[in-house]
Amino acid sequence: MKKLMTIALALALTIGLFLPAMAQEAPLKVAAIETAYGAEIWQEVAAGFTAKTGIKVELVTDKNLEDVITSQMKAGDYPDVVMLATGRKAALTETLIKENLLEDLTDVLSMKVLGEEVLVKDKIAGGFTESSLTNPYGDGKTYLAPMFYSPCGLFYNAGLFAEKGWELPATWDDMWALGDKAKAEGIALFAYPTAGYFDAFFYALLFEVGGPEFFEKATRYAEGIWDTPEAQQAFDIVGKLATYTEASVPSNANNDNYLKNQQLILDNKALFMPNGTWVVGEMADAPRADGFQWGFMALPAVTEGGDRYSYTWFEQLWVPAEAQNKEAAKQFVSYVYSDEAASIFFEKGGAVQPIVGLAETLEGDNKMFFSIYDTGAKAALGNFAATEPVEGVNFADTVFGTVNSLVSGDKTRDQWVEAIKVDSDKLREALK
Amino acid sequence: MDRHKGRGWFIFWCSAPAFLLFIIFMVIPTFNIFRMSLYKWGGFSARRTFIGLGNFRTLFEDMKFLQAFQNTVLLIVVVSVITITLALGYAAILSRIKFKGQNFFRIVFYIPNILSIVIISAVFSAVYDSHNGLLNGILALFKGEGAQPVYWLGNQNIIIYSLAGAMIWQAIGYYMVMYMASMAAIPESLYESAGLEGAGKLTQFFQITLPLIWNNLRTTLTFFIISSINMSFMFVKVMTDGGPDGSTEVFLSYMYKQAYTNSTYGYGMAIGVVIFIFSFALSGIVNLVTRRETLEV
Amino acid sequence: MQYHKPRPTASAIASRFLIYLVLGLLAILIIVPLLWVFMASFKQNSEFYGSPWVLPEGLYFQNYVDAWSKARMGDFMLNSAVTTAMALGMLLIFALPAAYVLSRFRFRLRRLMNISFMGGLFINVNYIVVPIFLMLVAGDKQLRAWGAAPFFLNNLFMLALVYAATALPFTVYLLSGYFATLPVAYEEAAYIDGASNLTTMVRVMFPLALPAIITVILFNFLSFWNEYIIAMTLLSSSTGPKTLPVGLMYLTKAQNARSEFGQLYAGLVLVMLPTLILYMLVQRKLTQGMALGGLKG
Repeated sequence: MKKLMTIALALALTIGLFLPAMAQEAPLKVAAIETAYGAEIWQEVAAGFTAKTGIKVELVTDKNLEDVITSQMKAGDYPDVVMLATGRKAALTETLIKENLLEDLTDVLSMKVLGEEVLVKDKIAGGFTESSLTNPYGDGKTYLAPMFYSPCGLFYNAGLFAEKGWELPATWDDMWALGDKAKAEGIALFAYPTAGYFDAFFYALLFEVGGPEFFEKATRYAEGIWDTPEAQQAFDIVGKLATYTEASVPSNANNDNYLKNQQLILDNKALFMPNGTWVVGEMADAPRADGFQWGFMALPAVTEGGDRYSYTWFEQLWVPAEAQNKEAAKQFVSYVYSDEAASIFFEKGGAVQPIVGLAETLEGDNKMFFSIYDTGAKAALGNFAATEPVEGVNFADTVFGTVNSLVSGDKTRDQWVEAIKVDSDKLREALK
Repeated sequence: MDRHKGRGWFIFWCSAPAFLLFIIFMVIPTFNIFRMSLYKWGGFSARRTFIGLGNFRTLFEDMKFLQAFQNTVLLIVVVSVITITLALGYAAILSRIKFKGQNFFRIVFYIPNILSIVIISAVFSAVYDSHNGLLNGILALFKGEGAQPVYWLGNQNIIIYSLAGAMIWQAIGYYMVMYMASMAAIPESLYESAGLEGAGKLTQFFQITLPLIWNNLRTTLTFFIISSINMSFMFVKVMTDGGPDGSTEVFLSYMYKQAYTNSTYGYGMAIGVVIFIFSFALSGIVNLVTRRETLEV
Repeated sequence: MQYHKPRPTASAIASRFLIYLVLGLLAILIIVPLLWVFMASFKQNSEFYGSPWVLPEGLYFQNYVDAWSKARMGDFMLNSAVTTAMALGMLLIFALPAAYVLSRFRFRLRRLMNISFMGGLFINVNYIVVPIFLMLVAGDKQLRAWGAAPFFLNNLFMLALVYAATALPFTVYLLSGYFATLPVAYEEAAYIDGASNLTTMVRVMFPLALPAIITVILFNFLSFWNEYIIAMTLLSSSTGPKTLPVGLMYLTKAQNARSEFGQLYAGLVLVMLPTLILYMLVQRKLTQGMALGGLKG
């Protein structure tokens, strides 16, 4: 037995000695979702990383990254670093969270940014590593690093508002009044790309009706939370908004046709849509009404003078627990917060890293978008808490997907709330 | 003499390789589906828990599964009844009546069957579009401009039939060719004598054609059940992704969502088992119900 | 005996008109969308936001150039061609002898095999793909443990083998149905001439089954060529080979990203053309080959 232990120890030591050397040689496998910011940014950042460390980077970028890496991962071939956010249809990141297959990145926060003397946690802007988006198990440990943030809110045609002389609604009551005015001119108040876009919208609304504490409870499925007046108010607003929504929206609210819904704003057929700043790039080729100009605002307040929130959406960067090259992976994670990487991300693609002070340097449309938090809106961050997998329950479908039925009138507001309560109860029991 | 001595080996070498391949790549995986349906497993990690029939118990209380079940059955019934009727009609016209351009029509009708599903979905999203779609454009001719458009892919009472329309469009040619093949085997003399007795084309169809291809028709019904389950998934996947709000979810699309995006792989496999048993049973029932005294020529 | 054509009656003209109307309607329903796809493939990206039925402003051939180079359509098309050819070859090598033996010889396991293949029709490839994948993963792990290079995944040959295996039930079913319709007299004549079982099967029976073989080739070509769920799963490595439908995914739309519609449609047309050409070449044989009497006995 003792002999065995000695051998094991010797073996472990030898491996320990050789591991760093080996890590230097093995290429770092990086997989990143290709979004409106393009794939070029990743090639350059990868090259920058190689120049600094000598570690070769094997890069995979794809618009449907899940399709490319899922089978690979099941075959035991894990990327070392992955940028893929939660809230996507294929829900790969959620699956790994539920299955406890992410590497703890908390120690990266107290590492130095690669090539700089600053700690990662001092580089990342305030609040970004404090929500369930980065700390999914609510235990103070960070498993996902924030990337490419974008304020979400309501997008509109500023040109149309100027032309009609309409005021931007500051409260939901103003909103309804505007909706009636617009309806008289044949313009719908509201449209949405797909029901999935209600996530950012609904999270911000939960903050507005009840503040951070309420949000925390709601997203952790607290008992009776959906019967509170705050929750009911949020449901009322969404329910009412459904009646102000352009009628053709549910028809196109799928992955193939959602651009038609976004086009409604450009064609002055609807006033507002919930979206993120990437929409500008996404619709760059689309034809638009004369005098069209992008406008962007936070959600209207629930009461006169109440808080207005804009959801902060960001991509998530993570390291699979099964990754072979974790040391290099963590170095890479620290590198994406360097000034060098951030400027590549921004200059080549327009992606904004959540780095202290970066938002102040922006110009043009971006300045308007990112200054939303300076002009009174509060930032909403977070999402529904991770649970053990529950058979047949997809909470995003229950909460957001049903909006399609509210608009088409196939379900009532009360049926919707009832379903949310049922699923919420199931999820609470499965909470991590 | 030689022939009989080697008979056993001949049969073995002819049938065994195919059967072996079939066992490895179809029977064993199917067995695995049945096995995994008894587990709670997310699909990635090593954490697997045996839960017996737990997944099946959850399944029959899952309203979304029942909706998928209902949609699948509806699609099977609607698509097969309409497709078979139309395919039979077109097959009868093309094989019983002589006229110019016959060949052209036969060729064209089969084309939808060779198209990839992505093309079909693109075509139908342009046909069903609520503002610029072909269908609403034609309707507007009758209802006048400015009439409320029909939301083919938005109205939850209509959308399942919109899907059925696309599926029928795709399937008619295939079944038409099948029926034409068996109609071609009917001897001309039968029609001639019927014609002499004064039977019209329609009577001939019901008295001669239909009874004589009845067996073939029954076979295609089984194919319909199998292929509708499969095709409905393909169509749903590219056209609606089960939406809006789960109103077009079908068996396989729901299975996929549960197995892959909801991290409940075992549950998804339980759905797979139900699909297998359901299609098997339904085919058996249909086979029994349609059994007739067959007419052999 | 009639030496001159009878004068068409009014009702004959009316029924002829009706026939053309009915056939013409379906033909238009098929041709118009098809032309629409071609039309869309020549549009510039900005033209896709308006009505889908507007003619393109010009012939924008750049779409084809981009689809070909960006989506690496050239490589992928070769991969697809190789895979499809291998799969068809293997399928015929395995299925033809098996179908022949199953329809012509009586032996002990015949009933079991027939029933198994029939049951195989109900196994849906969409849900056994993951168990197959996991099986191949295990195979590769074993190979690595033995110090050999992994073989089972990211291999066009294995993909082709899986295609062939999963197509077996339907192919065996169709072929043995056809063999059953061929008269026994041919074989008897061959045996009298002293031919062996093997010679008889290969030299006499296979050529007779040519129409069915062509039908089988066409059907399976279509499904292999357009297949992407298995291909996507088994060819998962980012550096490994990909087939055309998987390559098309590089062109498909994705949320939050800019869409290249023109390229997508050009890619779709590129995928569709080979199937259209093959269909045109063999369409005459198609009707002859579909003898679906069902397995007798």
